[in-house]
Parts: sequence; structure tokens; C-alpha cells
Amino acid sequence: MRRYFVGLLAGLLAIVIVYWLVMTFVENPEIQNLPYYTFRTLLRITITLGISVAWGVSFGILASTNKTASIILVPFIDLLQSVPILGYFPAVLILFVSLFQGSELAIELSAILLLFTSMAWAIFFGVVGAVKGIPVNVIESAQSFGLKGFKYVRHVILPAIVPALVSGATLAWCDGWFFMIAAEYIEYAGATYWVPGLGSFLAKAAYVYGDISLSAILLVLVTTIVFYINFLAWHRLMERATAGTYKPVLRLDLSGVGQLGVIRAIGHSRWLHLGDRIHWPKSLILTSQRLRKYTRLEKAIALVLALSLVFLIVYLTAAQVSLDVIKQGFSSPPADELANLPRYIALTMGRLGIAYVISLGVALGMGILAAEHKKFAAVFYPIYDIGQAVPILALFPVLFITLSRTFGGVIGLEITSIVMLILDMIWYMFLNIVSAVRNIPSEIREVGKLFGFKGLKRITHIVIPSILPAIVTGSILSWGTGWNTIIFSEYMPYGESIIYLPGLGSYLDKAGYIYGNTILLIFLLAIIATIVLLMEALVWRKLLRKFEKYHAEV
Amino acid sequence: MPVLEVRDVTKTFLLERSKLNVLENVSFSVDRDEFVCLVGPSGCGKSTLLRIIAGLERPDSGEIVFHGQPQTSPTSKITMIFQLFGLLPWKTALENVEIPLEVLGIRKEARVEIAKSHLRMVGLEGFENTYPHDLSGGMKQRVGIARALALQPEALLMDEPFSSLDELTAKTLRSLVLDIWRDPTLPTNTFVMVSHNVEEAVLMADRVIVMSPRPGKIIGEVRVDIPRPRANYLRDQIYFKCVDEVVAMLEGSGK
Repeated sequence: MRRYFVGLLAGLLAIVIVYWLVMTFVENPEIQNLPYYTFRTLLRITITLGISVAWGVSFGILASTNKTASIILVPFIDLLQSVPILGYFPAVLILFVSLFQGSELAIELSAILLLFTSMAWAIFFGVVGAVKGIPVNVIESAQSFGLKGFKYVRHVILPAIVPALVSGATLAWCDGWFFMIAAEYIEYAGATYWVPGLGSFLAKAAYVYGDISLSAILLVLVTTIVFYINFLAWHRLMERATAGTYKPVLRLDLSGVGQLGVIRAIGHSRWLHLGDRIHWPKSLILTSQRLRKYTRLEKAIALVLALSLVFLIVYLTAAQVSLDVIKQGFSSPPADELANLPRYIALTMGRLGIAYVISLGVALGMGILAAEHKKFAAVFYPIYDIGQAVPILALFPVLFITLSRTFGGVIGLEITSIVMLILDMIWYMFLNIVSAVRNIPSEIREVGKLFGFKGLKRITHIVIPSILPAIVTGSILSWGTGWNTIIFSEYMPYGESIIYLPGLGSYLDKAGYIYGNTILLIFLLAIIATIVLLMEALVWRKLLRKFEKYHAEV
Repeated sequence: MPVLEVRDVTKTFLLERSKLNVLENVSFSVDRDEFVCLVGPSGCGKSTLLRIIAGLERPDSGEIVFHGQPQTSPTSKITMIFQLFGLLPWKTALENVEIPLEVLGIRKEARVEIAKSHLRMVGLEGFENTYPHDLSGGMKQRVGIARALALQPEALLMDEPFSSLDELTAKTLRSLVLDIWRDPTLPTNTFVMVSHNVEEAVLMADRVIVMSPRPGKIIGEVRVDIPRPRANYLRDQIYFKCVDEVVAMLEGSGK
């Protein structure tokens, strides 16, 4: 405990000193606002986290205990969380700005709403999963002792959801930082909206001041803060919260791995957060995987809900915007580029594909090494932890400015885009692979050893087949997050002009953020959704089904 | 001369930061054609001991001697049957039996032939292309037995091979194992089995070695002189006497 406080104070002191240094030596008209910006961002994310937790817990418990509520809520929320957040953000902003007559409150509220839509799902689905995971014997014994209503919630449900809540909140917190820069600084239809905060300051440092060293410093600063908070708050909470779980499968046994480098320096004896991330990805378990578990009735209701939502949209569109407006949407810019759509799709898929293959290869190597050799774990886990803490959206401009100096604008952006995608995709793969390798049943390992599998032969015959299901899950998550990242990684202000990499992402940006062509934006979102669903149906679901039996009940 | 000797084996595990003494100075030997059973309370290190004999774990001190030679790594002369079968779920029954042969570098046609004949021997003809997923527990253990025998080992180690099966299936498989042990045409004739089921141990073994709770030590052994096949003596005094003797040792060690 004392070491913990020493770590806490030392970290805080270090951050204060860094702030002082930055504020003294960096020349920028806004630099004196740095602590204020930090405070605003922290406050914003904390408030959103509070809202997300309150919402997630109440609706999660409701959805998992009440059959009727579950039938309506779960498919509806599935539907909501499947839409790319950055896609519908402009609409939210315009709604709020028009509601509040363009006051700062409007932008603040829309920033919080955007953050909420990126943070809430992990908590909600975590809670639902945890309540559903309460063993029948516990429920039955509670019933036999007459626990009902609030008492049941307090003594049975709340203790059961704490671990999921903590890991969900951790995820939400990280997601919050991830989307911070997008939520705090928005360009839409030629205008710029921003709220004071680290994210907007970072964006301004890159886009307005074009100050690469300031951007880099801020990036390191943000990373340090995220890392620090993860370390001292979340890891610790996680360690405590996971002590009494029903389902140890959600965790990863990392005893023996934890006593390493950075962790030891800060005085941690164990390192528990890794495992909790594995089954709790950004969008949590795939929509399709959950859909598969639905009963027929639930599927029907999901279908009805989806259809009525579509009808509602169609109706509202038809009521407010006549067919002419739709026609106009398809004839005003950037609709003139529609002919290029197949090429854009191919190029974007190509970028995602390249990034995926590289991520898979690197993650496979790193993951297997980290899971099997403590020495590699000592290097890779801290890299993972820092890599996770870097808000990718914030890294983007910094990386671009650096690369564009060597490679020029377009190629620089092309490389930046792929690197961003890799940095975004790789951690899901890495985590899934590490956990899968560590969870290979000991008998399978022993069989390999007993019959003399060594080196590469052991990897191809024993290790890789064992972790194939995890690789597929990791791939699905990687592609999911990749689609989100591609929306902002194909376009970049460069000097006086803006560079667009031809692709679906940049096209969507143009339609949404530059021209404010909502009709086209919806059309493009529908195309992305179609591609995602097709890939799920044609590739991932088939692979998952094929590898299902690899999950040996050994 | 004994085939297999365990000499002064000691093993400690590091758990968190505390040391866990699992085995302390364990010594015994197994003769040719002998069936030895290790019994003890759970956590007494009997499975660890078996893994050390198989070369899967290394003892902190002491050694395993096989035909007079110290043995430190797995060899095809000593194989093992696992409690949870240890089948690779992504391979069919036939491929699972083929695995050890493949590592030995045997040609595809030859090893398919060997694997098929061993599956036939354990009564799994017709299930060659079935995945473990679709086999029952008893059938999986049959594959495990076939895989171990395909290597033509001299010594067969069994780690609670029947404890995850239902009693009827376990009964059938026990007699299958005994048949294999007694079959003079097979090279596999030295058996070491770990069990926590005293009745099973007395039914199968020539000698029952009794271990104490952690740290595991040998606290005695019971020679079982019941004539075989023993199924005929299961209601006899001579059988209960042996069982009682082992149970008394186990209970005495717990106090």
C-alpha cells in the first residue's frame, strides 16, 4: 500500500514538473491554458464515464433481469452501437447547435454525447454478460432464502457485476481518450467547432499552429496521463474487483508475468488488467455472435425494430425532405465522384488489408513470444500498455507531419494511414493471441512435449491450431476498429490545402464534414455497413463455425 | 534388474512468492511386466511424479533411471495417457494417433497403417475420420490409448485415466488396459498408473504405492496377491483386505 502511494505521488510530481517545464519553455499563445485544458478534458471524460456507468448499470440490470426489457433493449442497443460513431456525429452536432443557438454548451453537450456513444456500450454489455453469468445455483439459493427486489439486486446482482463494471469502465475510459480529439475539435461544413481541452489543443497545435514539436509534446503528455491513470486507478481497481468473480475465464492468469520492469518500478506485484480486455473489446462481442444467441422471438423483434427504424428514417426523410432533396443530395458535391466509388472501396479495402496482414504477422510473433517467454513478456507488455495509452487520433497529425517531411504529402499520408491502422488493429490481435496461447490446456502442451514437437513444428502443429479461434475473434475486432479509424485517416489538412487519399473514408469525410451532404453521408454509411456485414457473413462467421470445435472441451 | 527407477526425487514449485514442496525424496522402482499404482490424497504430487517420469517436468534433485540410463527428456519408450485424454481437437482420431509417428519421421502410408491397426485394437474401427469433438469420453480415451501404444513403448504411464469417465465406461476401459498389459505380443508391459480410487488400484495393480499429503512422500506399499482375472474376486475377503490396508495407510497419513 505504501509503495502504491509513493508511486502515486511520484507520478503526480513528475507530471507537475513536466507541465511546468512545458509551460515555461514552449512558446505558444495558448500554452498557459494547459492545466485548464487538462482539467476540462479530464472533467469531460469523467462526467461522461459517470453517465455511462449510471446508464449502463441501470439499463444493463433491466435488460438482463426483465425478459420484456431484454427483448426490446438488447437488439436496439446492438443496432445503435454498430453504426460508426464518427459517421453520425455531424448530425448530432447540428441538432445541438440549432437547439442551443450555437452556444458553447451545445458543443460541449454534443462532445459529451459523442464520448458517451463510444463509452457506454462496453459497460452495458459487460453488465448484461455478468448478470447472465451468475450461476444458477447462486440464483436458486438466493431465491430459497427469499431474496427479492432491491435486496436481490444488492446482495446478488451488484457484487456479480462489479468486475465487469470495472473492466467495462476501464475500456470506456480508454475509448473516451481515443475519441477525445474527435469530440473536442470538429470541422463541419467549413466551420470549426471546438471546446477547450487537451484534444482540441492538440488538434490546433497540429492544424492551426502547425507546430510539430508542440504536438509531439502534447501527445507524450496525454499518453503519460492516460498511462498514469490506467496504472494507478484502473489496474488497482481491477485487481481488487476480480477477486471474487464467478467466471475466472474472463481473466487471464498472469502470475509470474507481472513482476517485471516498469511494473516493478511502480511497485505492482501483479498485473491483472490484460485478461479483462480480451473478451471486452471496443464493440464487445460481435453483433452477429450475439445475434446467433437470440431466440427466434428476439430475432423477430430485432428485425421489426430495425425495420421500423428504417421506416422512421424514411418517413422523416420523406416528410421533411422530398424526393427532390434526395435527388439533390445525389447531384450536389461530392456526388460527382460517385463513379469512383468502386475504386475507392478497393483502395480502402487494400489499406485495411495491408494493415491487417502486417498486424496479424507482428501480433502473432509478439503474442507467442510474450506468452511463452518471460523475457519477451517483460519487453512486450510495457509496449502494449504504452501503445494502448496513446490516443491514436492524437498521434495521427504528429505522425503525418513527421512523415510528410520525408515523403511529401500524399505518400506521407498513405504511409501514415496504414501505420495508424496497424497501431489501431494490432493490440486486439496481440491480446487475443497472448491470452489464447496462455490458455492452451496444459494437456495439449504436454502432448506436444511428450511426442517431441519442437521449434517451428510445435508452433504449426500445436500452438497455431490451438489459437485459431482467438485469431478469428481478434481479426473481427481489428477490422471493426479499422473501419472506424479509416474514416479519419484518409484525409489531412496540409499547409493551405487538404490532402485526400482516394478511398471510402476520405469520401465519407468530404460528404459529411466538408460539404455537409447528409444524404450522401447516409448512403456511404450504408455501403460501409453492407461491406462489414458481408465480411462477417462470408468470412468470419464461416471461420468461427469451422474453428468452433477447436475449443476442445479438453 | 528393474526397468524403471525413481531415485530420491524432490520437487518444489514456486507459487506467487512462496515455495511449495510437492515431492520429497521419493524413490521406488518398477520391474518388467509389473503394474504399479500410485495412490494418495489430491495434491500429494502423484501427477507431478508421473510427469517427471515422462520427462515433462524436471526434478529439483534426484533422477529417473530407465534400463540403467538416466532419463531427462521424453522418449518414445515411455508414453503417457492423460486424464482429460490430451487429444488435439483439430485432428481426427486417425491423425491424433499418427502424430507421434509423424514426429518420429515415419512415412505417411506406413503411419496410417499403424494408426489404423491400433484404432482397431482399441475397438474404434470406423471412427478414423471422426473429430474428438464428436467422440464420447470413453472413445476419446480409447484414442488416447491407441496413440500411446502406436509408439510401441515399453512403459505406459497413466494419469488418472478413468476418473473423468462414467463408472460403466471406466469398467470397460480398465479391462481393455489390463488386456493390453497381459498381451504377450505387445512390447508394452511396464505400467505405472496414478489414481485416487483405491478399489481401482487394488483391482489393477501388482503393487499399490501409497503417498502422503503434501509434501508427497512414500508412506508404504501394499502387494496385491489376488489371482487374476480379479473380477472374480471382487466380493471376496482377500480383495477387501487389500483395500482396507491401503485405506488405513491413507487415513493414518492424514492424521
